[in-house]
Amino acid sequence: MPWSDVPGSYRRAAWLGGYALAAVLAGSEMVILALALNPDVNADYRAYYIDRTTTCLNRDATGSYTLGQTVSFRNDGAKQAAGIKVCGWSGPVADGTHSLGETSRLRVKIPPLRDGLAATLQMAAVIRPPQITQRVVISVNGVRAHAVTLSGKEPRTVSFVIPPAALGKADTLEIAVDYLDGIPPTPAASNIYKRSIKLLSFRLDAI
Amino acid sequence: MALEAVVRPNASGRLMVITIAAVPLLFVISGLVIRYAAFASVSEEPGFAAYARALCRWDCAWYIDISEQGYERFPIPDHSNVGRWGFFPLYPMLVAAIRSVFPFPTILVATFISIACSYAACLVAWPLLDKNMRAYVLYCAFLLSGPFSFHFTTFLSEPLFVLLTSCVFLALKRSSYLAAGVSSALLSATRLVGVFVVFATVIQMFREHRRQGGSALSFPRWLLGRPDLLVAVLISPAGLFAYILFLYLTVGDGFAFLHIQRAFGRVAGNPLVFLWDGLSAVPKTGWLPTAPQWSALAAIAGLALSAVLAARRQYGAALFCALCIILPLITNLASMVRYVIGLAPLTMLLAILLSASKLIWLAALVLFLGACYFTTVAWIGGYLALV
Repeated sequence: MPWSDVPGSYRRAAWLGGYALAAVLAGSEMVILALALNPDVNADYRAYYIDRTTTCLNRDATGSYTLGQTVSFRNDGAKQAAGIKVCGWSGPVADGTHSLGETSRLRVKIPPLRDGLAATLQMAAVIRPPQITQRVVISVNGVRAHAVTLSGKEPRTVSFVIPPAALGKADTLEIAVDYLDGIPPTPAASNIYKRSIKLLSFRLDAI
Repeated sequence: MALEAVVRPNASGRLMVITIAAVPLLFVISGLVIRYAAFASVSEEPGFAAYARALCRWDCAWYIDISEQGYERFPIPDHSNVGRWGFFPLYPMLVAAIRSVFPFPTILVATFISIACSYAACLVAWPLLDKNMRAYVLYCAFLLSGPFSFHFTTFLSEPLFVLLTSCVFLALKRSSYLAAGVSSALLSATRLVGVFVVFATVIQMFREHRRQGGSALSFPRWLLGRPDLLVAVLISPAGLFAYILFLYLTVGDGFAFLHIQRAFGRVAGNPLVFLWDGLSAVPKTGWLPTAPQWSALAAIAGLALSAVLAARRQYGAALFCALCIILPLITNLASMVRYVIGLAPLTMLLAILLSASKLIWLAALVLFLGACYFTTVAWIGGYLALV
């Protein structure tokens, strides 16, 4: 019914009611907007979804691992590798587990250590000319541990000693692999789809 | 023709009502027959349930999950980056509510509700098409038996979106602003772009103000002096705000429906570049356009039809449709065909334009019905342009 047709005796009450409802709606929407502009989320959520500072959404995943054991990241080791992979991986497939995005992470639980640790990763570069090499930077528990440039299609074994500063009294080992030359599937594709390496196996040894 | 004969001015009102109700019903049946034939040609499993499952492609699976399990909190189970937050809640909620009464599989219930929504959208379109019977028949054929009828008859948001869009514009046509506001609120809870219909409401109010002799400058004051209009405007985005509040309370991020797009690989860019890239993706073999080309052509056709709406002084509908195309176009061409054909003002305009000549109307009708079979086969086969 048009506003002008409202009977006079009720018009003022309806008029006031209308304004009250409009005020409630406007107020509610402003409050909800204010809440949305101040999200109550953890740092991992913020980094991946809001700030977009990482392509690897950190998760509460820690795999069990026995020192000296080689974990296959091909199809045959899918079950054990699944517990170790935190983010930034796709697969496994026959030629290994493919990296996805600009960073990948692995995380394992480790026993108390008396000495140091050495890590061995078998990796192959993803190559698409003109990009024929892949620069990879490996950090352990936030400490830069190793850098390598992969080239050629053949897998390469990369071994390095984990810096003592990265170990401390830690009972978990988080290995972050950063890719400096990731290849996007198309020029306009999101960086979460970049491809850099294929990981074939992972091993830790006490030294 | 026969249909026109029964709605001549001297025909009884009752017969007209029956005709208006029967036309979409006829196309519901013909659409089911054609799409089932297409399904049967590619599937060995018979039966309506298998048919409904086969047509449930792409986003349909997300809506089923939402309808059955609701939305996830964070962290998302199974170490996934991709949550359901990007899919708006009204339609899966409606299906869940009706499924609680009728204990059938979700996809079956959703298929029936989608058909019912599309049928209702046809009925609402009758006055919007100015009771043009030819256009009405073509529009009903397009929604229910046309080349994209699977979008309007499976578990996607399109059936409800088209119905609610039609309700908003019918309410605006009748200057029922509160009804338009409530329909807009529901529309904004169906798909994000639904919130843009509030601009059509404000434009219609402005036109009414001008018709009453008011000046452009006095419009804000006139609007502020009408609490019923203020309520209509402010209630329009209520569905969106309700969903934002829900996401804030469950995920901690009211804009999770936007932020989750990162996990789907959506990247903001220049719409013109996306259009050019799409058009440039020429087929390597054959002459049929590629999926990106179809998507780019759909976006261009949609924008062109929006311009025609504007030329016909339907400014509100034109702006609404243009915004509904441009917003998703900012993040690339994905699903563009579906987004364009889901814009009721555009498809109604198309039906009116194609009805201008009897011969063209007949050709379009035959084309719609014939194409339904082949596009349904393509949809079941996962053809990317139809996503």
